[in-house]
Amino acid sequence: MTTKTPTEPGQERLKQFLLAAAIPITAVLLAALIGAILLILSGADPIAAYSALIKGSFGSERAFGRTLEKATPLILGGLAVAFAFKGGLFNIGGQGQLLFGAIIAGALGFGISGLPFVIHMPLALLGGALAGALYATISGALKAFTGAHEVITTIMLNFIAINITDFLANGVWKDTSGIVARTPAILETAAIPRLGTNMPLGFFIAAFIAFLVWYLLFRTTLGFEIRTVGLNNHAAHYAGITVARITILTMGISGFLAGMGGAIETLGVVGRFQPGFNVGLGFDGITIALLARTNPLAVIPAAILIGAMQGGASQMQFDAKVSFEIIDVIQALILFFVSAEMIVRYILRIRADQGGSVTLSTGWGQG
Amino acid sequence: MRKSIVLIFTLLLLVLISGVSMAQDCASPDVLCVGLVTDVGEVDDKSFNQSAWEGVQRAGEELGATVEFIETQDAKDYATNIGLFAENGYDVIVTVGFALGQATAEAAAAYPNINFIGVDQFQGATVANVAGLIFPEDRAGFLAGALAGMMTQSGTIAAVLGTDLVPPVVAFKEGYENGARYVNWDIELISTYHPGGLDVAFTDPEWGATTARQAIDLGADVVFGAGGKTGNGALIETAGAEGVLCIGVDTDQWETVPEAHSCLVSSAMKLIVPGVFELVQAHVDGAFPGGNYVGDVGLAPFHDFDANVPQEVKDRLAEIERLLIDGQISTGYNPGG
Repeated sequence: MTTKTPTEPGQERLKQFLLAAAIPITAVLLAALIGAILLILSGADPIAAYSALIKGSFGSERAFGRTLEKATPLILGGLAVAFAFKGGLFNIGGQGQLLFGAIIAGALGFGISGLPFVIHMPLALLGGALAGALYATISGALKAFTGAHEVITTIMLNFIAINITDFLANGVWKDTSGIVARTPAILETAAIPRLGTNMPLGFFIAAFIAFLVWYLLFRTTLGFEIRTVGLNNHAAHYAGITVARITILTMGISGFLAGMGGAIETLGVVGRFQPGFNVGLGFDGITIALLARTNPLAVIPAAILIGAMQGGASQMQFDAKVSFEIIDVIQALILFFVSAEMIVRYILRIRADQGGSVTLSTGWGQG
Repeated sequence: MRKSIVLIFTLLLLVLISGVSMAQDCASPDVLCVGLVTDVGEVDDKSFNQSAWEGVQRAGEELGATVEFIETQDAKDYATNIGLFAENGYDVIVTVGFALGQATAEAAAAYPNINFIGVDQFQGATVANVAGLIFPEDRAGFLAGALAGMMTQSGTIAAVLGTDLVPPVVAFKEGYENGARYVNWDIELISTYHPGGLDVAFTDPEWGATTARQAIDLGADVVFGAGGKTGNGALIETAGAEGVLCIGVDTDQWETVPEAHSCLVSSAMKLIVPGVFELVQAHVDGAFPGGNYVGDVGLAPFHDFDANVPQEVKDRLAEIERLLIDGQISTGYNPGG
């Protein structure tokens, strides 16, 4: 991979791409390797465990559908974080925005009747996404007008979102036919269907959104402005960009993406909003964004990888008697190696100026 | 670089090509296989999941069953995890906890040849292959209340409870209060439900502790903690108060909350282990009972407090338990009315 090739533009681009992809791929392999060592130390058979994991995530059409289903909110959560990174913002509030998206989509899904599918489902989906956008805009506005750091405000707003959504699901929007705190089931016309028996349509919506985000960032003026602010907001200011406007907009779009992730969970997977059913999804988005090196298109394979690990974990428990905690460990190791990429660069002998960098707000792809 | 990459890829390849699943003989009609799916939680949670798993393990030892469990990590995986057992030819599947009720009912409809045991899942309508293992919590609460009513010196006793959204908690409370009044009509009762929703009411030990403290400050000298970790918080807080007794819930909490040894006189137990075992036994005998299956309840041993509980109290408790079972006295808990 590091062999010198004649610097033809096309080949050069391919080489850059391979170098950029080599680091996350190596990080995944290293994490799997250390995971295998941990499995051996705990007395399990790593080959049996990993093959069960693969069987449970790609082994059948149903397993593959489940993997895509798990990957869907991870794509949107990952896009939310990656998009904010590009604008120089670290959105830790994906979880809160996702919860708002999930409950608003649920409320629109059960609260409105008489609409045909072609209107009802998109309405609930976009309503949920807008709820996430509005919620994230709070942090964006606080940053733009008062300078309050978005890391702090988004983290705090996560807790507020958890409690408000629990309150709603146990109060005005509670399904009174049972004692469980959850909203009524959404109507058939609001549900995101499956293609065939197993393929979740939500995944394809999410993948399409990833392309839109890529286009927005790299092919539009707004995207250029966002990336400029992300690289250096002083320079952006002198170049005539209204930084406050871009900051609010970046957070808003980021929240829109996270909110849509929650909306798809409600409309396509759970069928209603229920507290405790969306735990950790927003935080997994940070893992995905880092693994994808904040590239919107790379978010898709990164989300499929993590989705496969989560989707196959039950099969791994069943076949290989391995606790699901090992999945968390491997996921953390992947994150570790992607973040501590100097280790990977050393192993692969990739120079610091090659293959891009994973620095939060200046990911590869702007060159 | 080359060496390390080759090594890593070789390992990955090994993993990929060995993707052959291990054959389980559960599909054979001669082999009894029992699977257990936990709620979001672990089989060694010192509570519900653990008791149910012990019941399954007992079936493994005494009935020669192949037993296995899957711990649920994500509430969205209930159906997936039940499905893993169902598709691998398991004969009996135990699902633990109220929250799995819907997934269990759906799986039971999809797999009519498999028997399902739903711990704490009340069955509104009888389905032939689902047994809801439920317990008369009011009777356990009545005994705990009678014990508290006879042991109190101050004439004031307290209960720190999970949410009244969950019927068994209400049953524990009503039974406890009526049991205490049965032995001591003038007793002062301080019963407090957790004000939060289902997602916090059983996992809030801080609230349990402060509520127990308030009751003790008001003169209570026996505290009944009934509400998962919330109740455990009340027990541990009470352990720090001089001369105040506490009563645990669900399992013998002497084993599960050692921090409360200095106050724990007994526990209002739901006998989940024998309940699960009996239902597996019924499956083996070809007499699996669909609908609700009422398990047994009782007071846990007094352990270190055995010498502190007078013999006449023990005799009276035995008498009350007999009268309750005979139906000569009622716990006064009537969810219908």
